[in-house]
Formats: sequence, C-alpha cells, structure tokens
Amino acid sequence: MDLSDINSAEMQRFYSEEQQRAMVNEMVAKLTSECWDKCIKGAPGNKFSSSETDCLSNCAHRYLEMSMLIMKRFQSMR
Amino acid sequence: MDSFSNPSSGSSHQLSAQDLRNQLKNQLAIEYAQQFLETVGKKCFEKCVTKPGSSLSGNESSCISRCVDRYIEATGIISKALFSSQ
Repeated sequence: MDLSDINSAEMQRFYSEEQQRAMVNEMVAKLTSECWDKCIKGAPGNKFSSSETDCLSNCAHRYLEMSMLIMKRFQSMR
Repeated sequence: MDSFSNPSSGSSHQLSAQDLRNQLKNQLAIEYAQQFLETVGKKCFEKCVTKPGSSLSGNESSCISRCVDRYIEATGIISKALFSSQ
C-alpha cells in the first residue's frame, strides 16, 4: 500500500464513517452511565421493572430535549 | 499476536488498504470494549460490593452477574430511545 493511499478519498470516507460511529457509541455510553445512576436504585434484579425501563428511555429523550433547549438558548444570545 | 507485524495478505509485506481498515476497526473495537468493561466494573462494584469482605460472597457474585446483564440491557434501551426517534 502506497503511503498516499492513506489519504485517498476512499480512506477519507472510511475515517469519517468510523469517526461518526465512535461518536454515536460515546454518546450512548455517556447517556447510559448518567441514566443508570438516575434510574437504577438498589441492587439490580433479574429483570428491569417497567418503571426502570421507562425511566431509562425517558432519561435519554429528556437529555436530547435539553440539548436542543440549551442550543436554542445559546443561539438567542448571539 | 501483533497484527501489524503479520499482514494477512500472503507473503508480501505490503499492507493493503483493506488490511489497514480492518486493523483500525479492530483497534477501535478493543478500545470500545476496554472502556465498556471499565464502566461496567465501576457501576457494578458500586452497586454490589458495598462492604468488601475477605472474598466476594455468593450474593455479591450473583449481584455482579445480574448487574452486568442489566447494564448491557440498559445500553440497548438507551440506544433504542435515541435512534428509533420519539
């Protein structure tokens, strides 16, 4: 493989795909950690209760909603 | 062990673009797994080993295995919530 191939269009596409994938994984990992702390009280059982499941899913949705709100807030400051 | 010194492409020492992509993907997967393991360990130690004794008790061990299962499940729930919109 030629060294110049490292920067070929094909490789550039690969890098940005992988970068995007990594960002998504990181986001999911961060939210799981936050929401686990907020939603899972006590020792984990054999199954999540429906309120735990709902809390986790709400937690993720509310975090997104909040991010939007903060973005709008900053945009309105400019 | 070291895949960089053992390119899969025959006797040639040339690295193909595909090899490079595979190795990068492997490296990323390893990185992700290490990060995941570290987080799960931290969360489950916190939940299951509240008073460390001279060894892990049966209760603690089974708590840890449930905790690992639930953490993986939680990761799935969060990712579904984020990407199957609304």
